Amino acid sequence: MRSFSEYNPIAVAVWFFSVTGVAMFCSYPVLMVISLAGGVLFFLKRNGFTHGKTHLFFWLLFAVLALANPLISHNGKTVLFVMNHNPVTLEAALYGVNSAVMIIGVLYWFRSFTQIMTSEKLLYITGALSPKLSLVLSMALRFVPLFSRQSAKISAAQTAMGLYKEDNIVDDIRGKSRIFSIMVTWALENGIITADSMEARGFGTGRRTQLRRFGFRTGDILLLTATLLLLGVTAAAIGTGALSFEFYPSMEMKELTFPGISGIISYAALVMLPIFIETEAELRWKYLRSGI
Amino acid sequence: MEILAVRDMTFTYPNCKKPAIENISLTLERGELAVLCGATGSGKSTLLRMLKRELSPMGQVSGSVIFCGKALGELSDRESASEIGFVMQKPEQQIVTDKVWHELAFGLENLGTPPAHISRRIAEMASYFGIGDWFGRDTAELSGGQKQLLNLASVLVMQPKLLILDEPTAQLDPIAASDFIATLRRIANDFSITILMAEHRLEEVVPLCDRLLVMDGGKLIGEGSPSEVLAGLGDRKDIMCGMPAASRLFAALGEQGKAPLTVREGRNFIESTYANSVRALESKTAPHDGEAALEYEGVCFRYAKNGADVLDSLSLRVNTGELFCILGGNGSGKTTALSAAAGLLKPYSGKIRVFGKKLKDYKNRSLYRECLAMLPQDVQTVFLRNTVREELEDCNAELKELPYDLSPLLEQHPYDLSGGQQQLVALAKVLAAHPRLLLLDEPTKGLDAAAKESFIELLKRLKADGLTVVTVTHDVEFAALCADRCAMFFGGKIVSEGAPREFFSENSFYTTAVSRMTRGYFDGAVTLSDAAELCRLNGRKES
Repeated sequence: MRSFSEYNPIAVAVWFFSVTGVAMFCSYPVLMVISLAGGVLFFLKRNGFTHGKTHLFFWLLFAVLALANPLISHNGKTVLFVMNHNPVTLEAALYGVNSAVMIIGVLYWFRSFTQIMTSEKLLYITGALSPKLSLVLSMALRFVPLFSRQSAKISAAQTAMGLYKEDNIVDDIRGKSRIFSIMVTWALENGIITADSMEARGFGTGRRTQLRRFGFRTGDILLLTATLLLLGVTAAAIGTGALSFEFYPSMEMKELTFPGISGIISYAALVMLPIFIETEAELRWKYLRSGI
Repeated sequence: MEILAVRDMTFTYPNCKKPAIENISLTLERGELAVLCGATGSGKSTLLRMLKRELSPMGQVSGSVIFCGKALGELSDRESASEIGFVMQKPEQQIVTDKVWHELAFGLENLGTPPAHISRRIAEMASYFGIGDWFGRDTAELSGGQKQLLNLASVLVMQPKLLILDEPTAQLDPIAASDFIATLRRIANDFSITILMAEHRLEEVVPLCDRLLVMDGGKLIGEGSPSEVLAGLGDRKDIMCGMPAASRLFAALGEQGKAPLTVREGRNFIESTYANSVRALESKTAPHDGEAALEYEGVCFRYAKNGADVLDSLSLRVNTGELFCILGGNGSGKTTALSAAAGLLKPYSGKIRVFGKKLKDYKNRSLYRECLAMLPQDVQTVFLRNTVREELEDCNAELKELPYDLSPLLEQHPYDLSGGQQQLVALAKVLAAHPRLLLLDEPTKGLDAAAKESFIELLKRLKADGLTVVTVTHDVEFAALCADRCAMFFGGKIVSEGAPREFFSENSFYTTAVSRMTRGYFDGAVTLSDAAELCRLNGRKES
């Protein structure tokens, strides 16, 4: 009954990279449209109708990307019109639209991915690869905000002490550069204390273990298996050439066979997985509550 | 059972002739809470670090340290790391990771403890310390007191037998500090962990400890139960100045025998020994009715649009030539009020006037030239250079103009100075701009008692030179000693103000230890010298 974002980060990450991986390494228009539609739907499902600026930015980018290709690339048979002595072709225009669908779809996915993958989950995943790397990342995640807070403090202290004598840019820059140089000293100084604290707590005395805050439950295993299975079918369809589409010199689509169709259906199912999961959780919750 | 035995330990830093610690011998029993005190530079930190192998400084050592029957050098790395815990002064810098739960797990992860076991131990520890609520938070979001509690918990999770703390409460506000000390007492009682802590905030810890160790110039000059040790220190003013008020009063009156430690014992001592026919001292308050140096008029400020008001129509007037103390708890808005006066924050309504002129009329940063200067809470933020000399040259500070001598420190890095010395150098930098109004934010934080006393003297001297000083502080003893007027800040505004004597005798909880000790017996005794003078005036009771 967990929502999708509460599943084990590894299962979630594998799913994300399966969806975006297919979208990035194949250009079959149907799959691209599925990816974009799924990406938008998933983002809306999580955020409702907020984040207007993100949407606006993505769709402006979409327009730019879609228009750019036919202006630059002049391949293709069907000339629509001639602009500045250069032919603008139907194939190039559609190719542009297709790439724009791909890029914007992937961008939507990554936007949701960064929302779901908090620093803690990323550390969990890197920890599975290398505990040392994970510790370094964790320390960095702590240090970066600390550094910026301290430099803001120093800047305020210096302002109130008259470091910036005149109200002009040159003086501001000189002051800022001095603050940066003392921040380096400060960081080293702090580093010594942190190193002492680490050593005092037995860092480097032997093999480290890592506490994991996320376990693998049945649901996670199901999600992982389903993801890999659906990805396998889709990849097989793409790999065997059952799903291929040529834009140049003229658009040519291979006739859909059974492997092709099953590839498309698997990808659609893969993209819809989290939406199934969320809907199922909601329904079950409603049912339980009505029972109480 | 004996946990730690130090025998004839002498240690000399490389390139030093004089040993940092000399012929130290001491033993600690299981479950003892021992407090190590002494002035800055008396060798406390060196001694503590000699007891934790990982942190021991390089240099010449003689003598031995026996921990649980084994020489310190014979312990395995893991034993040494887990069985002797060490907590340092700075809460922030000791934290290693970004999440509270990860910080708790860090030590056990280093020891290679199986994950299931780690979860269990940190769950226990989080429940014992009441950390459950902030278990999943970022370590950066915690307050200073919470950070230090986390540092303590993440050492205790390794189940040490000996816990060493080096001035753990120096950077905390008084409430967080007494919570922390109470927690230590509880740990010693509940788990019979042996605790050795160096401390200079002794008012609360001395009555709670089992053993008091006093260091001076690298030697152990006193050891035993607190009241015995204190009775023997009567003539050492430099060491006594950090002790509980009751025992200082006892020493100031030249009494002999068992020294009282708590407010209750002090009260009993006064009532049983001295009469109270003279109840109050003549008040000699010189009212300051000069021009206004700093004026707030209905000032409102909030940090976020939807947040609460941090300054809630604050009105306040500080007169020229005054030493004004603003007291109040954490988050009451004191520091915000000071930053607004320094022009670092812009209030959304209300007026702030400095010497009769509105803040925004000080164009082109003229506010900071020969007018107003602020010394921030974290004095480290004042320094930008590699030596004290460069620091001072940078702001054209004249060494001769200063009321104190900085020449021995000139070649040192500002970060290497002690808290008190840093404070002096920072003040020298601030004074170089020849301000007429000086704003101080928690100037006594991290200072030991002796440094605090000399700082009070310094402030009085600056005031005599015509400087107006506004200080924000938690430290009621400090305010009682130096302020002309005090104000209590609560919920973003001033709720009470007055001269220290009336102010502190009207407060019943937020007041000095002496005031609590003499309440109802003497009137208006706020500082130690008040109480001592009253006792002398009254004379001993006939028995």
